Amino acid sequence: MDKMLYIAMSGAKQNMQALAINANNLANAKTTGFKADLSQARSMQAFGEGQPTRVFAMTESASQNFDSGSLLTTGRPLDLAINGEGWFAVQTPEASYGAGLGGLGSGEAYTRQGNLRVTEDGTLETANGELVLGDSGPIILPLPVNNIQISADGTITVQPEGAPNTEQEEVGRIKLVNPDVRSLSKGSDGLFRRKDGQDETADANVQVRGGTLETSNVNPLYEMTDMIALQRQFEMQLKLMKTAEEIDASSSSLLRTF
Amino acid sequence: MNPALWISKTGLDAQTKDIAVISNNLANASTIGFKKSRAVFEDLLYQNINQPGGRSTANTELPSGLMLGAGTKVVATQKIHTQGDMLNTDNSLDIMIQGEGFFEILLPDGTSAYSRNGQFTMDDEGSLVTPGAGYQLLPQITIPPDALSIIISQEGEVSVTIQGQPAPSIVGQINTVNFVNPTGLEPVGQNLYIETQVSGVPQVGVPGIAGFGMILQGALETSNVNTTEELVNLIESQRVYEMNSKVISAVDEMLSYINQQL
Repeated sequence: MDKMLYIAMSGAKQNMQALAINANNLANAKTTGFKADLSQARSMQAFGEGQPTRVFAMTESASQNFDSGSLLTTGRPLDLAINGEGWFAVQTPEASYGAGLGGLGSGEAYTRQGNLRVTEDGTLETANGELVLGDSGPIILPLPVNNIQISADGTITVQPEGAPNTEQEEVGRIKLVNPDVRSLSKGSDGLFRRKDGQDETADANVQVRGGTLETSNVNPLYEMTDMIALQRQFEMQLKLMKTAEEIDASSSSLLRTF
Repeated sequence: MNPALWISKTGLDAQTKDIAVISNNLANASTIGFKKSRAVFEDLLYQNINQPGGRSTANTELPSGLMLGAGTKVVATQKIHTQGDMLNTDNSLDIMIQGEGFFEILLPDGTSAYSRNGQFTMDDEGSLVTPGAGYQLLPQITIPPDALSIIISQEGEVSVTIQGQPAPSIVGQINTVNFVNPTGLEPVGQNLYIETQVSGVPQVGVPGIAGFGMILQGALETSNVNTTEELVNLIESQRVYEMNSKVISAVDEMLSYINQQL
């Protein structure tokens, strides 16, 4: 069969996949702390005998856009946003079976979602249920407590129930890290991990802001424009497929005349 | 079919739920003791189409793979238990809690529910009950029929003055209840919440002492809904909804173009 037809077909298929990335970004335009996925196309050569014409396209999600989202003031003390660069360290369920996988990963992952809550046994977790890590393991608050205060460097102080206002107890510090974003990759659960599987060390310079949340950094304008471009590109691939069909039809009609 | 169709569908679903939460907040903007909710979004699983690090040729690797997300989802609606504003009514049976705490209300089935709504009235026997359904406040407070005035102290002590008696007599004590995780309480309507496994067990205490909120007589706590904020949220959700539906129509156009051209 004509190579042109297959090259155009693979192009159309890859355009569809790139559109799925756009659709996912737009679907998550309101997800707290979401980082938009970037897509790019790469040429994959499949040269054989004859002219080097066969260059297929391949779509990849190369990385994420790590720009900060805008800050949304909520006034809730357990809503945290990272000021500038940095990440919250959380523990995912894989920590419990990490040892069984030959020590693969400690289950430490990084997120920018700071919508925290306290469970009934006092552990601090994100709204999605991952445990928030402190400098030494998950943070557990001594219940019952009254006031939970989180300072700009992530230190948590509580006022034990029944204690006078002057008595503040420090219970830990949220592990805030600032790895090079190039060393991070997004897992299938939407959390970020280091590519080499190692744990990042805490960075004292990361600042958090209480009572605020970071919104998704999806830029709808960019996504919509990109979508239009992909749609037109898709139509062009189909046009080529149509042309291939026409060329084919005209050559067979040419043969028929003889 | 094209994954983008289903991904956008999750976006439409989530925004519809968000708009439902926003409209419930706005509908309850003047409900006494109401606490606003917000929808919490989460991105769904990612699907690995091309694994990063996979082989592209015998001796080269793909530097980055293709991971397609599956869209978004509303994982929770979170009640935001911040303090509402104070509304002075000068009605002696209107009370509000300033700070943390809930009133304990006896449900008809004998279990307890918890409320921040302090608009109490009396039933035919003089007991303090909720204004709507007439559920009793716990611990039970009975106002004698010959009481001239009712005084409720900041610590919840209820006393009445009776004709002919110079000193007020104490008729009861209103205790409040704290929870470790008030967000975990389950709202059941009628301004009531019930205890769940994640809210923690109720801790009964004297108002104004050791972290329990003070009681103020003659005042009510208004809803903590910020209407401006809700309207901004509504605009945002509506536009995100429109963008997601735009993706669906774009995919639809692409598919119909295939059918026309080929």
